[in-house]
Amino acid sequence: MEVDRTDGRTPNQLRPLACSRRILHRAHGSASWSQGDTKVLVAVYGPKAGTKKNENPEKACIEVVWKPKTGQIGKPEREFEMILKRTLQSICVLTVNPNTTTSVIVQVVHDDGALLPCAINAACAALVDAGIPMKHLAVAIFCCLAESGYVILDPTKLEEQKMKAFVYLVFPNSILSVLPEVSSTMKGEPMEHGIITSVTHGAMSENDYFLCLERGRAASAKLSDFLRRSLQSKVPGDSSKAG
Amino acid sequence: MLMEAKPSTSPATFVDKIVVPGDVVLDLSTFTNETIKLGGGLRQDRDAISVMKAGKLKFSKPNKYWVESSQRRYVPCMEETVLGIVVDCKADNFLVDIKGPAIAFLPVLAFEGGTRRNIPKFEVGALVYVRVVKANPGMNPELSCTDAYGKAGEFGLLKDGYMFETSTGLSRMLLSSPTCPLLEELGKQLSFEIAVGLNGRVWVNADSPSTVVVVSNAIMNSESLSGVQQKIMVEKLLQRIK
Repeated sequence: MEVDRTDGRTPNQLRPLACSRRILHRAHGSASWSQGDTKVLVAVYGPKAGTKKNENPEKACIEVVWKPKTGQIGKPEREFEMILKRTLQSICVLTVNPNTTTSVIVQVVHDDGALLPCAINAACAALVDAGIPMKHLAVAIFCCLAESGYVILDPTKLEEQKMKAFVYLVFPNSILSVLPEVSSTMKGEPMEHGIITSVTHGAMSENDYFLCLERGRAASAKLSDFLRRSLQSKVPGDSSKAG
Repeated sequence: MLMEAKPSTSPATFVDKIVVPGDVVLDLSTFTNETIKLGGGLRQDRDAISVMKAGKLKFSKPNKYWVESSQRRYVPCMEETVLGIVVDCKADNFLVDIKGPAIAFLPVLAFEGGTRRNIPKFEVGALVYVRVVKANPGMNPELSCTDAYGKAGEFGLLKDGYMFETSTGLSRMLLSSPTCPLLEELGKQLSFEIAVGLNGRVWVNADSPSTVVVVSNAIMNSESLSGVQQKIMVEKLLQRIK
């Protein structure tokens, strides 16, 4: 199946990734993450004392503030905040610092498609930088279903507008383990095949969804490797790049 | 041959490597009747010991494991010495900011020979060198100005000098033993007083302000330098000011 993408990528090819940590001086943890021209800057403050109203004080609370590139925050941004908050809540260990709040501030630097997955990846790197206790890392991927029925990954803004349906998928990263293969899998499937978040927009058949899932998983391995490599780089201020 | 094949799966493979959250570093089912001690950044999930923070996995004989990482924020831990700033004085406690999630309490009687009659006077904003004696989750941490024997030791108010904030990793490096090359080189040529809190606060005092400036700049610049690099940096710095 031949797919023409404006930037000449293959359907499964991601845009170049870049990640740098500890870039803000005053934040407790910060990271910038870019996928092609989409770039997001995340700052993490905390843990701070006390939780907000309607939150469980016996657990740590995560607060997400979305700052758009221009203008006011609207309904789509509120939705992004909610998805991001739920995703981060499920990957953090919330019982270590009860009755504290961790603020995650997401500043969009440029939006060229796949904005929310980019923000999730950035937030994950920033939380690690701030030393917030986490169960595991998460990698997010944007899968698109085009009119003609093929699946493309990590679309640009232009491609995004032409799509009939899309899905945000968040997977756990692939972990290194000393455990024998059998016990690190859940019911015969490896850990990284679990889904943390899945948000679909538009009409999509069941088969198409599973196709997206399969492609997303394949790409998440690459993202996961990149995230590990950038976290392992010795000087956190140094940016690491991958093609 | 079997004995030789085993170490490839043993936990030793992760020691001194950089690990990221989620990595499983120890398998308790392979341990028989051993006690292991887990430090910061590790958690137990049934038989698996997994990592919560990114950093270098360290192992100290006989049985201690922890993840060494560096943060801007401090989470109080028992028996750690920290630099705190007094933010308020109440009848029973001084309220002290130690960069943690909650304000810490310093009881007015937690001083050497402390009684109701001789309560020390701290102004708001005073810098104190204190020890964390209680650090339970969900409670304000409690501090003390005495060592475990009830002696004042080095604890108490730090007068004059200059305080700056660094990361917890840097302050741990400054406190490491043997003395880190940075402080050793500086100490050979300059005379100064230094107090390092594990919460990432460092206080420096000397006779002349210029020494304070040199020492604090040297410390702030050494965040990501190795031992040899620190030595070279200090040598260059001291040559320039001569």
